[in-house]
Order: sequence, then C-alpha cells, then structure tokens
Amino acid sequence: MTARRVPSSALTSFVVASRYLPVYLAILLLILVASIWAPDALSSVSLSAIAPYGALLAITALGQMLVIMTGGIDLSVPGTLTLAAVIMVGVGEQADERVGLALLTAVGAAAFVGLVNGILIGGLKLNALIVTLAVGQVVIGVLYRYGRTFPVQRPVPTGWSHWTTNRILGVSPVFWMGVIITLFFIVAFRYTAVGRRFQVVGANPVASNVVGLRVNLNQVAAYVVAAVLYAVAGVALAGLLRIPGVTSGAQYLLGPIAAVVIGGASLNGGLASPLSTLGAAFFLTGLNHMMMVMGLPTALRFVVFGLVIIGGMLVSGDRIIKGVEQVFRERRRPGRLENETMTSP
Amino acid sequence: MKRRTITVTLLLALVIAACGGTAETTTTTAAPTTTATTAAPTTTGGETTTTASEDPLAEFGESTDADMTLVEKALGDVEPSDEGSWNIILASVARAHQDLAAAGIDIEKALECWSQPECDTGTGGEIVMGYADGGGNDVNVWRSVSHMEAVLQALTYPEIGAIVSTAANFSQDLAVHVNDIRFLIQREVDFIVGYPDAGIGLAGAVAEAEAAGISYVSFSAGYVGLPDQAGALIPGEDYLTVVGENLCDLGESFSEVLNTGVGSGKVALLGGTPNNALTLGWQRCTVSSLSGPQLVNPPVNQDTTAGDTSWFPPIIPDVFRGLLTADPDIAGYAYEYADGVYIGLQVYEELGIPVQNLTLALRTDEQTLFCDWAERNEPTYNIWYSAGGNFQSRTGVTAAMMSINGAEIPATIIVPHVMRQVTAENCDPERVDPLVSGTSLIPDDVLAAMFAG
Repeated sequence: MTARRVPSSALTSFVVASRYLPVYLAILLLILVASIWAPDALSSVSLSAIAPYGALLAITALGQMLVIMTGGIDLSVPGTLTLAAVIMVGVGEQADERVGLALLTAVGAAAFVGLVNGILIGGLKLNALIVTLAVGQVVIGVLYRYGRTFPVQRPVPTGWSHWTTNRILGVSPVFWMGVIITLFFIVAFRYTAVGRRFQVVGANPVASNVVGLRVNLNQVAAYVVAAVLYAVAGVALAGLLRIPGVTSGAQYLLGPIAAVVIGGASLNGGLASPLSTLGAAFFLTGLNHMMMVMGLPTALRFVVFGLVIIGGMLVSGDRIIKGVEQVFRERRRPGRLENETMTSP
Repeated sequence: MKRRTITVTLLLALVIAACGGTAETTTTTAAPTTTATTAAPTTTGGETTTTASEDPLAEFGESTDADMTLVEKALGDVEPSDEGSWNIILASVARAHQDLAAAGIDIEKALECWSQPECDTGTGGEIVMGYADGGGNDVNVWRSVSHMEAVLQALTYPEIGAIVSTAANFSQDLAVHVNDIRFLIQREVDFIVGYPDAGIGLAGAVAEAEAAGISYVSFSAGYVGLPDQAGALIPGEDYLTVVGENLCDLGESFSEVLNTGVGSGKVALLGGTPNNALTLGWQRCTVSSLSGPQLVNPPVNQDTTAGDTSWFPPIIPDVFRGLLTADPDIAGYAYEYADGVYIGLQVYEELGIPVQNLTLALRTDEQTLFCDWAERNEPTYNIWYSAGGNFQSRTGVTAAMMSINGAEIPATIIVPHVMRQVTAENCDPERVDPLVSGTSLIPDDVLAAMFAG
C-alpha cells in the first residue's frame, strides 16, 4: 500500500504568496534605479511629498481590488471620484462648518453610484465593463451639470484643504488614511467571517452559491464599498488640489487597475492582497515621480508606464501561480512519484 | 454707330468703377514684427484723430477708433504691430463696449449665448458664428472668459443671427475635438473662432471646414501646428488667420526677464499640453536667447516642449515636484499660465523650500498668483507678465467678419506685447473672481453675472 505525499501548509502558503512577490521585487528594483539615476527622489522630503498621492492611488486601487476579486471591473472610477471632489466644492460652499455635510454628501452620492453598478452587474448580471463605462459617463454628465451651479474653479473650504496638507509624523494625513484603510482590509480578510466569505465568493462563485453563500449580495456590496473608497480618494484629492475641477479624476481610470494587477490579483477574480495593492500603488507613484525628477519627456514617460504595465501582466500572479503549479506537477510525475512512495510494513 | 458708342462708354465706365474700389487694402505680411511700422490712427490721451472717412477699415464696416485706455488695459503700453494687424486689433477693441446697455447689448442675451450650446442673437441676421474651444467654460476660467469675449464681440454685429459653441473640455480623446469642428461644419456656420488645443490633430477637421467655405480663425497664438511642423496647416493659406503674439518675440521677452532677474542661477521652463504650438513656439526662442541662467530642463529637441503641465491642475504639482526635488534652488520659471504657478507654489510648501530669490516670466495674469505675491511681500520674489490674451477672441471674430465683408486678412494678426512687473495694484480684492485676468475687456457687471454664486 502506498501513500501520496501531501504538500505541507507552509508550501501551500508559499505558492499562494508567490503571486504577490513581483510587486515587492519591482519596488526594490525601483529603489535601486532611483538610487543611481535620481537619488534626490529617495530623500525623506521627496517621499513625504508624494506619499499622499500614492495613498490616493492606493485607496482607489483597493476599491478596484474588491471589484476585481468578484470577477468584475469598474470603469466609473474617474466619474465617481470627481463627483465626490466637486461635491466638496458645491456643498462645502467655502465654509469650514459645512465640511462634514459635504463629506457625507460625497460619500452618499458615491455609494448610490456603486449601488447602481452593483445591482446592474451583481443583480441583473450585465457585463461589468460596459455597465461601469456607461454609468461613469452618466456620472460625468451629472457632475458637469452640477458643476455649473457654482463658478468654475471655486476652491474647497479652506479648513479641509489645510487638513489634507497638514503633517502627522511628517506626512500628510491622507497617507495615514491609506494605511489605515489597507490595514482594515487586511484584518477583515484574515480575521472576519465577512472578509473570508467575500474572498471565497470571489475565488469560486459557483461553489459559493452551492454552499449557500449570497454571491449576488457580495458582488453588489463590492461595488458599493468600492465607490465609497473612490469618494474618500476624491474628497482627499479635492483638499490637496484646493481647486478640483470637473476633470480632476481623469487620471484614475487605468492607474487603479494597473495597481491591482501589478499587486498580484487576477482579472478573472479570486484572491488579492491589500498590502500588495498598496505597494503597487506606491510603486507606480514612485515611478512617475522618479521620471519627473529625471526630466524624462512626456512621451517617454507614457512609454515607460506602458512597458511597466505589460511587464506586470507578464509576471502577474496568475502566471506565477501557473508556473509554480507546473513545477510541482513535474515533480509529481508517475516516474518520480514511485521513488517517493512509502511502503507499508 | 451711336449704339456702339454707348456700349463702349458703358463698358469703360464699368472698368473704371471696378479699378477704383481697391485703393485701401489691408497688407498681408508673412513675418510681421512687433515693432511699429505704421499705426493707422494717431492716438493721444485715449482719443483718436481718425475720422470716419479716413478710417482704413470703414469700407468693411469697422472702425479703428478704439478707446486707447482699453487697448492699454488689454495689452499694456505697447508699440503697435504691423499696420494690417494693428488696425484689426484696434477695430476689435473699438467694439469692446464697457456699457452694454448704451451699446444696445442685452446682458441676459450675452449670458444665454455664453452658457448655451446655441443661441439666437435676436437680430435676425443670417450669419452664424461657430466657437470651438478645446477647453471650455466648465473647466477653466480663462477659457470661460475668452468665450464671453467672443460672444460679446459677436453681439455687436447685427449680421450675426446665431452663435453655436462647442467645448471639448480638455478631453484626452482627439476625436472629441475633431467632432466638435465637424459638428459646426454640419451646422453650416459661416466661420469658426476657436483655440485648437489638439494642434496638428485638428488639421483634417479645419481643412474640411475651409473646404466647406467656413473660415477658421484661431486666437491666443493657437496655431494648427507651427508652420515648420510636419502636418501643420499654414495660416493664410490653409485657414484664414491666427491671432496672437509673435511667439519668438514672446520667448525672447521671457528670457530677457530671466537673464536680468536670475543672472547665473537655475531656471526651468513650463508649458502646456505636450508639444503644443504655443509652448513650442516661445520655448524655442527662450532656449536660444537665455544668456547666463542655467536651464535645468532643456527640451529634448527643437520639436519637443519641456515642463509639460497640460495646463491641468492635477498635473502641475507633479511637474513642480519633479523639478524642485532635483533642483530645489531653481531661481526662475518661464510659463504661459500664472495660476499654474500659484498651484505649483504649494509644492514649495510641501518640500519646505522658501519662496524667495525667484523670478517669474509669465504670459497670463490671473490674480490668484498676484495676490499671493502681494501677501508674501518678499522683495526677492518678482513676477513679470505680458497679457492674459482673452480679448484676442474678439479680434478673431472681427477678422472673420471683415473677411466676410471682403477684407484681406493677414495670415497672422500679430498682437504686440510688453512685459510688465507685478505691483500691489495688480491685486484687486474687489475682483469678482481672482482667476479672471485683469487684462480682460469684459465689463465688470458681466463678470459678476458670470461668476455669481
């Protein structure tokens, strides 16, 4: 009688974790390149200056991550983010005492957008790419119309912009917001039933449905929570810019998706790492900053970004997992397995 | 015999009448300069001495009898440009009525035409004006003000019966800009005034407009590609004209400010959308005429711009951050956009760099920067600017109307410029919106209505 060797839990953990390795290697490579070509970009002053913008990308990427984990995608990020930013201006009316109301309104409006996305995609099973693109366009139209109710280029309340540009331990509070949100999701995924269920639903919605998990509800919730995160980023961006315009969020269409993919998640859905997504966001922000410091022309910066994203896809979590699986499959071929067989006494 | 004599006499009379109608035509110069050659009206103390019968543009329905205080407000104390350009500029300013009621212009109608995609001017005129902006009212105050300048100018022409406006809102999608022009073509406008943010990308659409008999006029030195760029359209040949400063002269003016103010220190160039004609035009000449300062971000080549901000607030801090991280001791900047520098100054705060020993050479004159300068009260921080240029859209409208009335329009209508140093008077706390240029010719009551709320 023979028994097959069972992979250890440590090995399983390694296989799962390996998909998130590329982003950390990329960060190390970036630091190495910057130390040679743009050492000023690594100064503490420089890093603290870009920290809030890395956090903004991270927050939007975490929202996108939730959606991608369910097998979906969200192209309404620019519209939702900008809507929140513009609401800070419109509802804020340059009065510090109205900041709270503006924040609640921004988050509420974004949650509604997310709910619409969620119902159409999670409930009615429409195509996520098309739905979120369409909803995003509607949101942009609404925010343009809303933006006309007050003078163009009006600023946010002064108190709000001062708060976002303040310093806590030498860094903007927006950075700490990003860290706290990331920690929240790490804890939620690892230690809460809701978080674990969410991951299971994303990894295998069919099996989840069979065992009675509410797949549709999880999908709807993903879009709602994601939209709230976009709003958080939007109001923070409004504070940093002081005068957010109706096109402020235009840069946040592909960046969050790139951060999620480079962070090791699969566009087919399934597991993802909030920490890796945070790392990827800071990698992309740092890369942009390094290229600015080096004085690269705009055209070359676009080329570099494109190549980095392609590189991220080539060494994506999916491919790593497949590669690791291939290695272990080779090791377990019948010829090899006989040598590893234990014989019973 | 008698019948033949009468016929010959009539023919001779017709020939004489035809030859006598072209005594005064506008000159067209390929390379005008900003120095005075001949100024059509003589001017003393805000008055002109031109009489209606002597006015060189009278036959085209225009008058060069402009209020020189308005000319100075818009341009500064400039030397006139070439006669052809200067006359058109004066004619456009002559229609910049500050008392709209007295001029018979309804402010509500102006606001309607400014805020709506299309409006009926109420005059019953048959001409339809098109306005195509790569930006738009909703995204930028400068664009919003320039649009109203054009609307107010159009409302001084009873022949213009409708105004159709499009705005691409700085869309990254070239098709949006192109389709705006095509929409105006389909709408059968008679002429288009606009700012071609997409540059050469608009060449095809502009050519289509011209082929359809619709004149295209750009302002604020909005070339549809600089003449030496591959694929560029040639003003005067491929489209009616471009209104704007001589970009090389402007660039040299910038470098003169930096050479004097910075000495041997470091300077940086900032610009708009990558490789746009306006930025490319002046940066080329700034780079070649800098003498003393060290340029920290030279353009890669003659066809590339440096310090691309796209005039887009979210990107501007990134560019400043990149420059100041590498060179925190930059002592001077040359840039078109005053408010852009105001946005960038927050990076100084982020990086803990004091705003001092700094010289700025700018084109526009948004008060946000000037009032910030006044508040800082730093004697080693100096700003020079030329002009916001909003009124140039008025010049575009007038040029188009003159062309319809048979005038020969210069290929480029050169707007003279002069660099002016910012003083405390440039900060007007009563200004309805600090982002509105002080050189705009829109009356204050209209500005108040535009930016109310």
